[in-house]
Amino acid sequence: MSEKNKTVQEKLSELSELVAWFQGPNFSLEEAVDKFKQAESLADVIEGDLGKIKNEITVIKKRFDRDSE
Amino acid sequence: MSETLDVQLSVSDFVALTNQTLEYAYPSVTVIGEVSEFKISQGKWVSFKLKDPGAVVNCFMGVYELRQPLEDGMQIMVKAVPRLNPKGYFNLSVRVAKPVGEGSIKKGFELLKAKLEAEGLFSPERKRSLPRVPRSVAVVTSTESAAYADFCKIINDRWGGLDVQVAHTQVQGEPAADQIIRAVRYFNGLENLPDVLVVIRGGGSAEDLMTFNDEQLARVIAESRIPTLVGVGHEIDNSLADMVADVRAATPTNAAEILVPDKAEIIRTVRRQVTALGHQVVQALDEYGVRTREQLFSAFQRIEERLDATFERLAVLRLATSQLNPESVLRRGYALVRGERTVGGTIEVETIENIITAEVKDVREK
Repeated sequence: MSEKNKTVQEKLSELSELVAWFQGPNFSLEEAVDKFKQAESLADVIEGDLGKIKNEITVIKKRFDRDSE
Repeated sequence: MSETLDVQLSVSDFVALTNQTLEYAYPSVTVIGEVSEFKISQGKWVSFKLKDPGAVVNCFMGVYELRQPLEDGMQIMVKAVPRLNPKGYFNLSVRVAKPVGEGSIKKGFELLKAKLEAEGLFSPERKRSLPRVPRSVAVVTSTESAAYADFCKIINDRWGGLDVQVAHTQVQGEPAADQIIRAVRYFNGLENLPDVLVVIRGGGSAEDLMTFNDEQLARVIAESRIPTLVGVGHEIDNSLADMVADVRAATPTNAAEILVPDKAEIIRTVRRQVTALGHQVVQALDEYGVRTREQLFSAFQRIEERLDATFERLAVLRLATSQLNPESVLRRGYALVRGERTVGGTIEVETIENIITAEVKDVREK
């Protein structure tokens, strides 16, 4: 799935994985700078997404004042 | 002079005519009184008397129509059709029976609460957790209420990207419970179930909130396939609907806060995490620098130690070598003799300062 199609939740999970990598046994200084840059740009994307995504609220037309037909 | 009905009727016809007249005059009556001699027969039929200080009337209804447990002494309101039954008893055929007055409402609530509790409907093991961030949400409420407006405002302020389907129902009065039940069933019957089912209603009097103490509604919420979040009334209000729900919200506003995280808080957390990672990288670099310097220092020390040892050994060797040098011996006053060591032979004597040529005059054994 491309970065563009991911949901905010998926991006948050991705960020959590990056954070976990920094705290895990595979941490290496050689990779850390690249991973940090990834985390930083992911944070920018998440912030941007959260700022612009709107909720879609729909009142359904079905009536509940009598048993369904 | 009174008029008489000069028609001869069979008893059955009389009962039928009376019922017809009653139905015409009172298609539905609402009567308030105190319950006595309450009884359930064969698990199907409910009978009791409704009384006040001056009169008493028999009441009859099906168990399925009883939406709240009743007990002798409770003050209730019934909506009923008056009927004369074929055995000659006059009674009220009750469609709706509900407690009235604070004491009876509370009593009815306690009775039903005890019943549902005994069935384990409130037990923590039944409770499901809600997804941290739902994608689709079903809401059952009155869309005309302030509570609904508040709910929408809060979720829009806090989060985005939700697909919210709202079922408009009444939230108080006689038809409300059935409407909410139908709406809950509707969402549970969808092919793609929403992630969370929310039922909300703002504050109101004890009678207004009675809808949410309806036994059938409580059971439908408890049976919901969709995890439920119920927020009814104010913080101090407890309803059976929110007791059976997976998650109880104190108010509709609180329901919105529970439903979705606060994006401002998420952004702050994300920023904090990234800043912490930056610090971690810098710290790792610092530690790496310190470690490298330590390793270099230790390497230099080892080289120095080796050099010192080598120089020391060299000095010893140099001393030893210098002591073996013939010149050192000559310097101490000794001489080096070369040549034929026989009488009449010529020898060369080397001292530190001279080389002397001499003739051998005598040779003796020592």
